[in-house]
Amino acid sequence: MPYQNILLASHGTPGARAAEELALRLCASPGGIHHLLVVPDFWTGMMGDDWLNNVRTRITYGKYVESTLERELQEHVERVCAEAEGAGARYSYELKVGQPAECLAEAAGAAGYDLVVIGSPRPKGAAGLRSRMSLDPVVRALNIPLLVAPHPDA
Amino acid sequence: MVYTHKHPALLIMGIIMLAMGAATSSGIMDGVINYLHISKLVWELTSLSYVFGAIAVAVGLWHLFGEHREGNLDYYLSSITGGIFILLIAMLIRWFVAPYVAVVSKSLGPVMGDKYLHDVMGLNYVVLGILAGIIIVNVFRIPAWAENGVRLSRLGLKTGVILLGTLYSAAELRSLGGLSVVMIGFFVLGSVGLVLWFGARRKVPNSMGGVLSAGMGVCGVSATVAAAPVVQARSVEIAYTIGTILLWGVGCMFLFPVIGHVLDMGHVQFGAWAGTGILNSAQVAGAALAYQPNGIETLKVAEIFNITRVLVLPIIVLWLAVWYVKREENAPGVSVGRVVFEKFPMFVLGFLLMFALSSTGIFAPAQHYKGKYFDNNIAESKLLKSEDVAVLQAEAGKVAREDQKAALGRLLENRKVMSIDDDDVLRGLVNAGVLSKDANGVLKQAHKSVRHTAKKVSAFRNWITWLFAFGLVGLGMQITIASIRQAGGQPLVIGGIVGSAKAVLSLIVVLMFVRETI
Repeated sequence: MPYQNILLASHGTPGARAAEELALRLCASPGGIHHLLVVPDFWTGMMGDDWLNNVRTRITYGKYVESTLERELQEHVERVCAEAEGAGARYSYELKVGQPAECLAEAAGAAGYDLVVIGSPRPKGAAGLRSRMSLDPVVRALNIPLLVAPHPDA
Repeated sequence: MVYTHKHPALLIMGIIMLAMGAATSSGIMDGVINYLHISKLVWELTSLSYVFGAIAVAVGLWHLFGEHREGNLDYYLSSITGGIFILLIAMLIRWFVAPYVAVVSKSLGPVMGDKYLHDVMGLNYVVLGILAGIIIVNVFRIPAWAENGVRLSRLGLKTGVILLGTLYSAAELRSLGGLSVVMIGFFVLGSVGLVLWFGARRKVPNSMGGVLSAGMGVCGVSATVAAAPVVQARSVEIAYTIGTILLWGVGCMFLFPVIGHVLDMGHVQFGAWAGTGILNSAQVAGAALAYQPNGIETLKVAEIFNITRVLVLPIIVLWLAVWYVKREENAPGVSVGRVVFEKFPMFVLGFLLMFALSSTGIFAPAQHYKGKYFDNNIAESKLLKSEDVAVLQAEAGKVAREDQKAALGRLLENRKVMSIDDDDVLRGLVNAGVLSKDANGVLKQAHKSVRHTAKKVSAFRNWITWLFAFGLVGLGMQITIASIRQAGGQPLVIGGIVGSAKAVLSLIVVLMFVRETI
């Protein structure tokens, strides 16, 4: 059953790529995919306890990290956008900084979506950043169906 | 943007400080002070509480009732709330929590020789302060009204290092500087080279190898921050590297003092080891103060190593930049002058300035050494008592060396140490362990009577202790579990191998070649 308005949460990992493919398959034509990208809030602590550097070095680092994250997200957005347009779906995106679960719950409540699609956690032992989304608060907050795409390596 | 929060927190903290000061000076706290054995801290408990309490109340009232406009005044005054927040935590830890931990620890009895659990584990106000910072940021989060001022902790640490410059003699600086250049030169270059070699073998990207080698080799997170843009590290590589370094740093801060106590290392040995083997510079200072909470000899050694590391940083960043340019087509160009200028640690100039001023004798008598000077014009009450003389006379026969016999003879005859040379010889006699504990106690007392710490130097020591305590509590508030959890991937594997090798090899070198005499 195709959906008109899907909220897709993905950030480029193999699990998220599976969610993207699933969302594109389930999206009606014409339909729309709204792509949510979350920059996890652990990045705010990624200057650690540095105290030796001067202000100029710290500012250079801060700007570099911001621009790197922005560039990586932009590449991700462009790829998903091309895939969505190729599948005949409207594409839009939004960027949030914070806890993934909170951001998803907030985004899902903001517009009239009829399905939320997310990826599965990566298998244990697989490399990757640790910003796993806790499903419990998301499930409690949502009043629309939530679909979890199986991990390709599962 | 207006930074000041109209919040009563600063006013409340000020009132708490004033109440602590008033309760102490009025005698209400006497029972607590006696129970915690903190009578030596009463002066700072009252004076610091009153001074900073008054500042907090005055600025707190301004925050609540004043009109705030965008500008420098608003920015700087807004930071006082966070600064007082850190200071209040440091005060509570130093005056109440750490002494209570010591009382509990002593009630459990010695656990290693005559050392108690809190001595062995280094559970003093410094370590507990860092822990408190880590707990606050991870469990409660830093309140919005304190966020701006928490950054002041870096200023506290840098000011502490600058003031530390007053406590070195030229001979100490020459000797420690030489030792640190050799140790840091070997281990920094060695670990940077080893990480790059491992990286090539394990086929990690150049950007990851570059950023990891800086962090593992030089000064941890600070080096990562400096090197990441130069080697164009990807976000995931930065996260892995910083997570790995923080994990190592926090672990080492607890582990190093325990190993140091087990091996009965001297202050110079431990300072040299911590300054070389601990990856992250913030934890070097923490471990040094954890090892010797009631003195700063270890910190003095460790900080010389830290300063050497940070002076090496621009060179390593330059090296990595050139290394990266050779390997990557799209690498940005390298400007030697720009890298050196931007990465040069200005506070080291402050340290050198204070050292130069100290060398002119403006802080202490010219003949002072290690912050102390010899003067045996002492009051009658400071002379050895007849029972002290009897203790030494009873054991004089155990002394075999002629110079020690002569110095001991002059001490017994005059009931005080007669010269700097005699003092040095008698210190050697104590360290040799020839005499009983009682006799050594008498000799130590005689030494204390003729060695005086200049008042200004003593004040500097207190300020330095507080600045480091303040700075480290604040730095603890910048260590998030979420960032430590990012430790992983190749950086964790390579970092684990290189970090362990560096810690173990530097320990062996220190134990074999570093002596306590500087």
